[in-house]
Amino acid sequence: MSVLDTLKSLIGGAKKDIDKNLTKEAESVEEAADSIQTSSEEEIEVKSDSETISEEEPLEAEAPAEEEEAAEEEAPEEVEAEEAPVEEEAVEEAVEEVPEEEVSLDEEEESIDDKLSEEEESLEAAEEAVEEEASEENEESDNMTLLKENDIYSMDDIDKEFTQKFVDAGIETVDHCFQCGTCGGGCPSGRRTPYRVRQIVRKCLLGLREEVVSDPALWMCTTCYTCQERCPRSVKIVDIIKMARNEAAKAGYMADAHKATGSYVIKFGHGVPINDKTKDLRKAIGLDELPPTVHAFPEALEEVQKICAACEFDKLIGFNMETGELE
Amino acid sequence: MEIAYFLGCIMNNRYPGIEKATRILFDKLDIELKDMEGASCCPAPGVFGSFDQTTWAAIAARNLAIAEEMGAEIMTECNGCFGSLRECDHLLKENPAKKEEINAILAETTDKQYKGETKVRHMAEILYNDVGLDKLSEMFTKDLGINVAVHYGCHFLKPTAEVGIEESAENPTILDELVEITGAKSVPYKNKMMCCGAGGGLRARDIDVTLSYTKEKLDAMAEAGVDAIVEVCPFCHLQFDVGQTEVNAKYGTDFAFPVMHLAQLYGLAMGLSADELTFDAQLIDATPVLEKLE
Repeated sequence: MSVLDTLKSLIGGAKKDIDKNLTKEAESVEEAADSIQTSSEEEIEVKSDSETISEEEPLEAEAPAEEEEAAEEEAPEEVEAEEAPVEEEAVEEAVEEVPEEEVSLDEEEESIDDKLSEEEESLEAAEEAVEEEASEENEESDNMTLLKENDIYSMDDIDKEFTQKFVDAGIETVDHCFQCGTCGGGCPSGRRTPYRVRQIVRKCLLGLREEVVSDPALWMCTTCYTCQERCPRSVKIVDIIKMARNEAAKAGYMADAHKATGSYVIKFGHGVPINDKTKDLRKAIGLDELPPTVHAFPEALEEVQKICAACEFDKLIGFNMETGELE
Repeated sequence: MEIAYFLGCIMNNRYPGIEKATRILFDKLDIELKDMEGASCCPAPGVFGSFDQTTWAAIAARNLAIAEEMGAEIMTECNGCFGSLRECDHLLKENPAKKEEINAILAETTDKQYKGETKVRHMAEILYNDVGLDKLSEMFTKDLGINVAVHYGCHFLKPTAEVGIEESAENPTILDELVEITGAKSVPYKNKMMCCGAGGGLRARDIDVTLSYTKEKLDAMAEAGVDAIVEVCPFCHLQFDVGQTEVNAKYGTDFAFPVMHLAQLYGLAMGLSADELTFDAQLIDATPVLEKLE
């Protein structure tokens, strides 16, 4: 739960319980919002991709009764977790104040509404201060587009040769994508990482080379083909991802673990070479100790190594053919 | 019938019981498995193919050329090898310029040329289409009354438009049918067609993400109540075996599903011993399921 969510549940609780002193609470929420403004700008910027608070606000009036309790119990803890001491104090204060103050049931709905709008205003003020993207304008814009309001691309970001690489490699279907999002909907990595396959396809088509190759999420695809199977435009999505990774590797964005895998193929001709334990196992069950692969034919291994050298794969991963090690 | 037998890496270099069972089965079926001498890593489609397509294709084409020289179709029992070799074959057939480029590299470095004369096939598909379930059943001496979670993996059937083994990979039956002729029951479970999490270089790059995949699969299998996991890919095999212990260590779970390649399941049905199938080399103890078979 984020800081703003915490605030939201505080407000939600207050709205539900008209026994509470709304004036006091609104003040304390404002207080808390102020303190967030001053204490955790960085944190909140991180959330720029998450939904904005204002999107969920209408639900608050119907928030369940437990929410008040939840707010009391969770707010201090959550805030603590976010390491914003100033804000923690303020929110705790707010939480404590809420249940202590008693107010009569005579409070009119009208005045509740007033207070609610006041709260919304104060929250929005806090958001605007800390999170540029949370403006109402943005909320109304089409969230299915790739570009955010503050992401302005110039022609300098566009590399048409990058897009052409896909076409030349026979993946001209990159151009067939109409951004429906079916790919991301079925993507198992999309459910657990920032990997957004639809965005990557779009960026490849636009020629946003640097954004594509520098994004670590590019490497979160397991090449399971679920996206490609379901694509209504038959876009060769996995081919696009692999080609983009080829470009990322060339640009120096290759993980050490992947360089190691590559180095095994150069050294042994196998990504997973044999070991003593398996040699014994093979012998024990009546198989040749060494399988009849490059492991048993040194001249065959040489061929694989020559191929790697001819393709400059050794240079790509920083493998020193002389020492037989990664540099 | 003769087939060029492509071993790959993980099966022969980690789980040789899979290879042993396969050699015995095909011997019984009177199909000769011819060794592809000097074959190398396929190399892995998702991980190696992500680094440099040209190197990947050249190494894969060299493997294809070995089978071509033998004048035989290639058989592999690893989804990754199947994916890599099949994809390379497809690429070089579709893209003459790439074929020329790759053959130039092969000419410079080897005495081989890729001609496009072999066909890459998965063991499960050969057993299903060429041998047939009836003949296959005749090889078995033991009825395996266990419940298993069948895991198809990704590169066996997909992309269906190129592979063509099944029309759709959303709800296939080929592997379930192959499993159930042993008497084992293929139990439906949630996310059955989901990836094990190891592919595409993810296991090497970000083990935590990989394990979250594997845990999701294992949770679903536990919910379905199975005795073992059956797959047709040594890399999935490794992920469910080694990865299962990693999931337990990371999440504090106590999953203990023995993992079997289809060839090992068939080995049990043929009456081979657990030792011959190298179950003792696996991290997840297979004893509970072996006892259930007694």
